Amino acid sequence: MSYYFVIISPADTPLFELTFGTSKAGGDGVPRFRNGETARYMNQFIVHAALDVVEEVQWLSPNMWLKVIDNYAPTNSHISCFLTGTNVRFMLLHQPSAITTASAGSRSSTISSTSIPQNPTSPQTEEAIRQFMNEVFELWVKTLMNPFYTIGKPIKSPVFRQRVVGAGRKWL
Amino acid sequence: MPSYPPSLASSPSRHLSQYSTSSSTLVGGTANPTSTSMSTGASTTTTATLRYPSTRKTIYDRNLNRSRNAELSRASFAYLFMEMVSYAHRRVQGIQDFEKRLNEQGYPLGLKMLDLILYRSSPAGSSSSTSSTSSSGGAAGSNRPLRLLPLLTLLTTKLYPLLFSRPADSLEQSTTNPGEYMIIDNTPLTNQYISVPKEMSQLSVAAYIAGIIEGVCDGAGFECKASAHNTATDVWPNRTVFLIKFEDHVLEREKELERQGVK
Amino acid sequence: MASGQKAARVGEEVWKTRVEKVNAELVTLTYGTIVAQLCTDYDYDYAQVNQQLDKMGYNIGMRLIEDFLAKSNIGRCGNFRDTAEMISKVGFKIFLNVTPTVTNWTADNKQFSLLFDENPLADFVELPDDGRAQDELWFSNILCGVLRGALEMVQMSIEARFVSDVLRGNDVTEMRVTLLRYIEDEMPPDDD
Repeated sequence: MSYYFVIISPADTPLFELTFGTSKAGGDGVPRFRNGETARYMNQFIVHAALDVVEEVQWLSPNMWLKVIDNYAPTNSHISCFLTGTNVRFMLLHQPSAITTASAGSRSSTISSTSIPQNPTSPQTEEAIRQFMNEVFELWVKTLMNPFYTIGKPIKSPVFRQRVVGAGRKWL
Repeated sequence: MPSYPPSLASSPSRHLSQYSTSSSTLVGGTANPTSTSMSTGASTTTTATLRYPSTRKTIYDRNLNRSRNAELSRASFAYLFMEMVSYAHRRVQGIQDFEKRLNEQGYPLGLKMLDLILYRSSPAGSSSSTSSTSSSGGAAGSNRPLRLLPLLTLLTTKLYPLLFSRPADSLEQSTTNPGEYMIIDNTPLTNQYISVPKEMSQLSVAAYIAGIIEGVCDGAGFECKASAHNTATDVWPNRTVFLIKFEDHVLEREKELERQGVK
Repeated sequence: MASGQKAARVGEEVWKTRVEKVNAELVTLTYGTIVAQLCTDYDYDYAQVNQQLDKMGYNIGMRLIEDFLAKSNIGRCGNFRDTAEMISKVGFKIFLNVTPTVTNWTADNKQFSLLFDENPLADFVELPDDGRAQDELWFSNILCGVLRGALEMVQMSIEARFVSDVLRGNDVTEMRVTLLRYIEDEMPPDDD
């Protein structure tokens, strides 16, 4: 599984970005997005499109954890969302790796495993993402409490980044 | 939730241009697997310049509930607040400007406290565990306020205890204007130590608290103006009414959610 | 040290029975707001921010001493060593609920350090990562002014300054306090 995580302000400004790969099942933590060179822009685009879905549901459900709210079939990408009290969006795009035996360009959707590194929609994966989001939310609140953190500005703390990386490795 | 792939043909209405395009950001933003010790953290970013004590204690190592029930001297708050007020006084002209400045000091605190309140309302966040990641808990268990009543209740029963260790004295809806609500505090802490000069008798230093209230409401998506008004009575010489005027679109959404049965 | 034990007892007693309390986080957040506002107003000129904080503290100290004397009900300290114990175990105890360690005395008994294990003012703080704040800003500098103002009211002219701070990456937070002179009664207090 490859991940693109981004925290987006209510004004649609990205406050924090991280890409990483799974560390489960012997994963090396390196992201391997299918769309190679263009993955970065593609992922940003897909996640931003998913914000529209967030806006559709955010006033219907009081939950902070909104689970998978969107997907993008061409790259088999799934987008999960966690919404803070101040309507800051934690967006996680998760994309299973292409099956290694498949030839380049072919899209295999016949992943049988339910494990976190393989299956983007299994209950185990959903739970792992929820745990990841919870941990990031705790880090987020700690960031907010710092009087020098200005609302709506990018999060620059290296410790914050290090801890989000750690949460990714721990859960995903 | 129903989901559908966004069409690439439709131009994105959001501002992707806000993303940094420099490659250094990409490097910094990517977990570097070649680093031998990820726990040192500094290896994951190219911009880390902050130093930390050898104990490596940072704000991220501190339990968010550690000071939850901690107390300090009320006088210490009063001294700091008095300095805040007199500092503001030197930089403003007139009462309106003065109150605006105090409101602006409180506002970001409100934005910040809302998420702290939600964190602490969750099963895991309310315990003293070091992490919110117990299997059943986490902030995922907290609810964001969607309707006015839960929001106002949050102000009087969650925000107020967080700040002043007690709920607000009462909550009322304006009888003349449906978009206006009042939170009443008979003994606002901000006013207890400050004697306002006569020529400023209209000034309410509780504008600081009004700013915090406004920040919580705005943050939650209930845009409003909150102001503090002296309404002294014989029994309560510092009695203050916080008047919250919600914007029209908030009231329209409230009606719509009511119709849809959202609680 | 006997005066230390006595001071500790007085501090505990006053804190428990004679101090009205408030939520600690309200104090912490309000102080953080003040410092952040000063940084904005002075365009991140940290030397100026330190100075402003010291001034605010001085104002507070001059008022606070009366409250301190009334609550603690203690007389004049015999010497500067006793004063140091009172500052730590009564003063800091009743106003910030901490008791910094008094240490590093000079031979002439005119200089000591306060080591802070805890500092509620800085509880949630990480300094800006701008390459300067950790070298230039003393986040808790208001405390230096408080000491200076308070002691001046009881006829002691002192200098107080931070020499290290965990927020800067130091292992301890240390304030150095120096007795400059005892002020004669007939002299008016310094006007700052």
